[in-house]
Amino acid sequence: MTRFAESTITFPYKRSLGPVVGAFMTALTDKRILGIRNGKDILVPPMEWDPTTGAELAPDFVEVGPVGTVESWTWVPTPSVQHPLQHAFAFALIRLDGATTPLLHAVDGGSSERMVEGLRVAPRWRGTRVGRIDDIICFVMGEVPETDGGDTGAAQEPVQRMDYHASITYRNPVPAATDRAVVASRNRRLLGLRCPRCERVYAGGKGYCPVDAVELGPECEVDLPTVGTITNFAIVTPVSYPGQTETEPFVRAFVLLDGTDVVIGYSPVIELPADEVRVGQRVAAVWASPAEEHDQEGGMGGAWGSLLGWMPNGEPDIDDPDLVNRIF
Amino acid sequence: MIARSPENAISRDIAVVGWAQTEMVRHTDKSETELLMEVITDVLTQLDLTRADIDFTCLGSCDYITGQAFSFVTNLDAIGAWPPKRDSHVEMDGAWALYEAWLRLQEGDIEIAVVTGSGRSSTGDPMLIYPMEMDPYFLAPLGADPLTFAALQARAVIAAGIADERSMAEASVRSRGKGDVDALLATDYLREPLHRHDVPPITDGAAAVVLATGPRARQLVERPAYIAGLDHRTECHNPSFRALDDSPSTRIAAEAAGLGDAPVEVAEVQAAFSHEELLLRRVLELGDDVVVNPSGGALRSNPIMATGLCRIGYAANHIFGGGNRALAHATSGPCLQQNLICILEGP
Ligand SMILES: [Zn+2]
Repeated sequence: MTRFAESTITFPYKRSLGPVVGAFMTALTDKRILGIRNGKDILVPPMEWDPTTGAELAPDFVEVGPVGTVESWTWVPTPSVQHPLQHAFAFALIRLDGATTPLLHAVDGGSSERMVEGLRVAPRWRGTRVGRIDDIICFVMGEVPETDGGDTGAAQEPVQRMDYHASITYRNPVPAATDRAVVASRNRRLLGLRCPRCERVYAGGKGYCPVDAVELGPECEVDLPTVGTITNFAIVTPVSYPGQTETEPFVRAFVLLDGTDVVIGYSPVIELPADEVRVGQRVAAVWASPAEEHDQEGGMGGAWGSLLGWMPNGEPDIDDPDLVNRIF
Repeated sequence: MIARSPENAISRDIAVVGWAQTEMVRHTDKSETELLMEVITDVLTQLDLTRADIDFTCLGSCDYITGQAFSFVTNLDAIGAWPPKRDSHVEMDGAWALYEAWLRLQEGDIEIAVVTGSGRSSTGDPMLIYPMEMDPYFLAPLGADPLTFAALQARAVIAAGIADERSMAEASVRSRGKGDVDALLATDYLREPLHRHDVPPITDGAAAVVLATGPRARQLVERPAYIAGLDHRTECHNPSFRALDDSPSTRIAAEAAGLGDAPVEVAEVQAAFSHEELLLRRVLELGDDVVVNPSGGALRSNPIMATGLCRIGYAANHIFGGGNRALAHATSGPCLQQNLICILEGP
């Protein structure tokens, strides 16, 4: 039975808005909606370029709406977590008064029976607006705009950036070879897989030989030495970003295992300060104790399981100028 | 628009010589790399080739679908890239990977290319993934999803008299080879005017196509499917600015690929939603004598990132089986934003 690993990835984008979208978003904070002139057309949402020819448009803005007419719609009976409303609603193409193109937005229509082309709708504004399209929570039926909660007014400065955070949960199959490598790591074994065709050995639970494109099953397993030599390393100075937990410079080392051709890459080092790491340094694997098993913080994770990293084993350095080339 | 003239004439000597696809399933236990290993081995075995015979590979896949940054690097494990070989990747359907390989083969210094498309749509919720490919300022923050856009386009196509809910249900029954139109029309809307039968299944799978040039193609198979024309065009990314009851980029690509030069017997179009098939038939001016989607199309199985490439594979099947001329269409983006047309001909 294949095991599936669930992971949630958040995409924390900060987007520059530029002169046209920025003007639109800034106006939203003032409960105004801007279009841009393109010949006879008034484009809403405004574009920097003519959508057909790609010609740059002058920043000739025109205030439109805020009331508009539904040109087309579809009913969303079961909203997603990303949708503007968490009860059934309509997504509609709304032609705001004065615009020549329709804007996509949500209409809080109550039921699909009430939705019809030609319906007049007005925005329901958020009380606190930051310069995003969802400063308009949705549109409501009628000619009268609404504001939800206390109105904190327009932005003091032009809005130049917006945040967009999407969060998606994925379920991916875990290859059987990876699971076997994790189990072996609990017994402080570093599992390799030897290709029956080319004899190359792979670590890290890779269940196939990429050179020969053949599967490597349990019959190909070999135990790898847990002592090796640092061939190369990088000192990473962390910059802050959402999810970053490191604050101090840290090492990622490449370790060539004794008597093999296998390099374990991007490995943490333990009890070895960044300014003392050297090419040629002799190291041994450090394993999590059973108590630490469920704590992957600082460990190598994934197919490496209980392998936390590498620490000096006290043997003298190996002096080989070619070592530095081995990062694979 | 680029006119076809002798000066920029394309090489007519590049052909699809074989293709393979994995089992197309709702949910596979295999990783994307494993799917590719299997399908590349399958197509090469058919042709009595090995990975060492391949001069160029181009892979089409999407990190957002896999949920893994640089997933295409892992996928390289499937091509046997040692000793080092020429390789490329497009973050698009494999049909666009084939376009790149076709361009590359025209340089004339290599003979064989492998093109793949692969995707595991079952890894995440399409409703949450696809809004990220939309306009990042006006659409993505609203969670604007592909079903919504398909429904809005369906309404436009219906309003233009190109389709109605019944003809859409008929297209669905024809594609899936099952279902009763009246019974389907009695079901609830998923996104009005779309019912569940108008919407593609979620499919995991991969496909691989082998292209070969000149004498090598004729050596490998009796009837290579020669690429007589290949072109792709795109429209504005935001459907607000497009006529949703038309597909001008499809029309221009078809013209540039030479659709009008001679009749086609078969057309494989990437219509994931039933109304798209009816719109594409209209835009491509396919008559009743053209067999559309004998494979069942994307309504039967929709392995995202391989669906378009499979259309080229099925069109090639028509040539392999003795046919003279076939059209394949692939699309990308909301409401048929970007469209590719490939015309295949027999020797
Ligand atoms: Zn091997």
